[in-house]
Amino acid sequence: MGENITTWSALAEPNRLHIVELLRGGPLTVGEIAERLGLRQPQVSKHLRVLSDSGLVEVYPRANRRIYKLRPQPFLELNDWIHSFRTIWEGRLERLDDYLRELQE
Amino acid sequence: MSTQMEITYTFNAPRELVFKAFTESQHLRNWWGPKGWDFQVAKADFQPGGVFHYSQKPADGGDIMWVKFEYSEIVTSEKIVYTSFFSDEEGNVVRAPFDANWPLKTLNTLTFIEDKGKTTLTTIIVPVSPTEEEYKTFFSSREIVQDGFSGTYDQLAEYLKI
Repeated sequence: MGENITTWSALAEPNRLHIVELLRGGPLTVGEIAERLGLRQPQVSKHLRVLSDSGLVEVYPRANRRIYKLRPQPFLELNDWIHSFRTIWEGRLERLDDYLRELQE
Repeated sequence: MSTQMEITYTFNAPRELVFKAFTESQHLRNWWGPKGWDFQVAKADFQPGGVFHYSQKPADGGDIMWVKFEYSEIVTSEKIVYTSFFSDEEGNVVRAPFDANWPLKTLNTLTFIEDKGKTTLTTIIVPVSPTEEEYKTFFSSREIVQDGFSGTYDQLAEYLKI
């Protein structure tokens, strides 16, 4: 696991985001990803390495091929992160609502 | 699930007042932090490039938390854009106290729109990667990230849980 690559920065690169979107449909090989996205294979390999270092995808061998698939954990963490902010903000906005009401009374 | 978070809230108040509630320390202390928490402002410089640095301390005697904003854009009564992060007393970035895996800064965009005496506030929060390079990368592709993820990620989260 790369220590300096966060989920966010890995996903911020458009081609990597496209790869992740593509893998939502199921596991694929480098060749299949390259073909579907119209990218060169070495370029796809490079992006897959970053995605793999950041823990977003994992690879497993099947026959003599390497298959890439998404790992659920970082996406669940992403979801938790968003949820934690939403909870904080919703509470805050309700307090402001009360406060504005008091101010205007 | 989306890589940006958007919250819309309508207040029964004119937007000048709502805007002031976000920009003046004496207002912020009354509602920003959880009820009963001790809220202290260390620095308040409300202008682009300025910072707002405050602390909040739980009523039950828990640890004090420092938070810092760096304002990047301000349009009076209309818009506030700032980066927010947990900090130490000196204002240096620290990891989020609730989750050591997310030391991230967030970029917060607040837009105030008034209609018939009510003000609708839209808050958009996106994560900011910690290094300058990652920051640039994130912003250069932010729209694609948003388009690509909005909505569709609920399905992904569901799918991945299986």
